[in-house]
Amino acid sequence: MQNWINAFSWLNVRFLLMGLWVTIYISVISVILSFIFGSILGIIRYSKIKYVSQVVGFVIDIIRNIPLLLIIFFTYFGLPNFGLRPETIPAAIIAMTVFESSMIAEIVRSGIQSVSVGQMEGARSTGMSFVQALWHVVLPQAYKNMVPAIISQFVSLIKDTSLATIIVVPEMMQHAQVIYGQNANYILPMFAALAVLYFVVCFTLSIIGNVIGKHLS
Amino acid sequence: MSMIEFHNVQKFYGHFHALHDINLEIDQGETVVLIGPSGSGKSTLVRTVNGLESIQKGKLIVNGHDLSDPKTNLNILRSDVGMVFQHFNLYKNKDVLENIMLAPRIVSHIPEEENKKQALDLLDMVGLRKWAHNMPSQISGGQKQRVAIARTLAMKPKLILYDEPTSALDPEMIDDVLQVIKKVTNESGMTSLIVTHEMGFAKEVANRVIFMDQGRIVEDDDSESFFKQPKTERAQQFLSKIISH
Ligand SMILES: Nc1ncnc2c1ncn2[C@@H]1O[C@H](COP(=O)(O)OP(=O)(O)OP(=O)(O)O)[C@@H](O)[C@H]1O
Ligand SMILES: [Mg+2]
Repeated sequence: MQNWINAFSWLNVRFLLMGLWVTIYISVISVILSFIFGSILGIIRYSKIKYVSQVVGFVIDIIRNIPLLLIIFFTYFGLPNFGLRPETIPAAIIAMTVFESSMIAEIVRSGIQSVSVGQMEGARSTGMSFVQALWHVVLPQAYKNMVPAIISQFVSLIKDTSLATIIVVPEMMQHAQVIYGQNANYILPMFAALAVLYFVVCFTLSIIGNVIGKHLS
Repeated sequence: MSMIEFHNVQKFYGHFHALHDINLEIDQGETVVLIGPSGSGKSTLVRTVNGLESIQKGKLIVNGHDLSDPKTNLNILRSDVGMVFQHFNLYKNKDVLENIMLAPRIVSHIPEEENKKQALDLLDMVGLRKWAHNMPSQISGGQKQRVAIARTLAMKPKLILYDEPTSALDPEMIDDVLQVIKKVTNESGMTSLIVTHEMGFAKEVANRVIFMDQGRIVEDDDSESFFKQPKTERAQQFLSKIISH
């Protein structure tokens, strides 16, 4: 019991919360960026633009089938070979964005494909351009269908930020390791704290997702 | 003046030869009914007219636009060529009024006031004004199709294509829709190309009947002669089968 009380000294709690802050910071930025890039890539892949869509599709398939951990390594240890030397937090954001964008792109593409072709044809037959038909008719329906898949992808994203601990990003998981690295008795309390904090953050996001989903339908 | 001209048009889906050497000229103001057995290529033919399907060979000219030329701007063509689909294809994310107002707003850039007035007038015409603020999911199939017709008319098309507009409807809804189509074709002087299995309606509305089979135009005649006695055996068989049902 004393271990648990000591584990949650003010200093440790503050340190853990600083980590939480970094986790949220990385997550929010990566969510926003990967939503934007993922949507663009998904639409390009759906649009069947000669060569472009095939190249985009090929790259997406590669990224989706590489472990995120490896992408984090590439960004942090590989990019310097190309003259880029990102700090740990930007490196984590870049890696998360690259990986999650390709996941979101696939969700967006299949979301668009789930809208019946009749919607596109109905719109095009009135003289709307492809982009107008997408924007006014197809995408609003597609995104409505996609909300659950996108939210669950972002929940994974938040949890996956813990992988960034491998390049010593000062996020929550890494801070917990620092704390129990000083005293092995703190291992269990820290794991418990991590579980609770990740749960709270992810569950909050799920609830927000449900509210958005209800609002759209 | 001709509205549609097919010159030796060939259409393939991959290796499948869907339209064989189509030659057809439809004049402005004509109401042409296109009939034929399932899979004969009626939808395919109609969909080539507004470029929803591409053609592989031959020349196709619609309202002065050459569809065999890849540089032709299909959006401009389509703003003058309406299409009514078997499954209505109303925009599920927009209410009835918005379904009608969207294309005039973003394609023809009609002032909002005028657009709204036109949409409400069209809803009056099809008898659905009080449904203006319902979503498509809240109205019946027959009502959906009448909205779809109003949506097409809102673009003031010179030509309307109908692809089995009543095939997806419950029997008791069919008449309302046919009534509206008759009104539109009679009053407007518009050109219409109609695929339908409703022979009574076809007889009433058509000036001219085209019978297709296996991707070919087998018969092309004025409505009266066709329904009195088709020239080809194939069309006779088809007619007797469909009328006895
Ligand atoms: N997208 C497609 N890809 C491949 N084959 C197609 C495609 N669309 C139609 N076909 C084929 O082309 C032929 C003509 O089809 P089409 O839909 O034009 O016939 P239809 O006369 O409209 O028939 P129905 O009365 O059943 O609507 C059919 O054999 C059909 O299987
Ligand atoms: Mg058909």
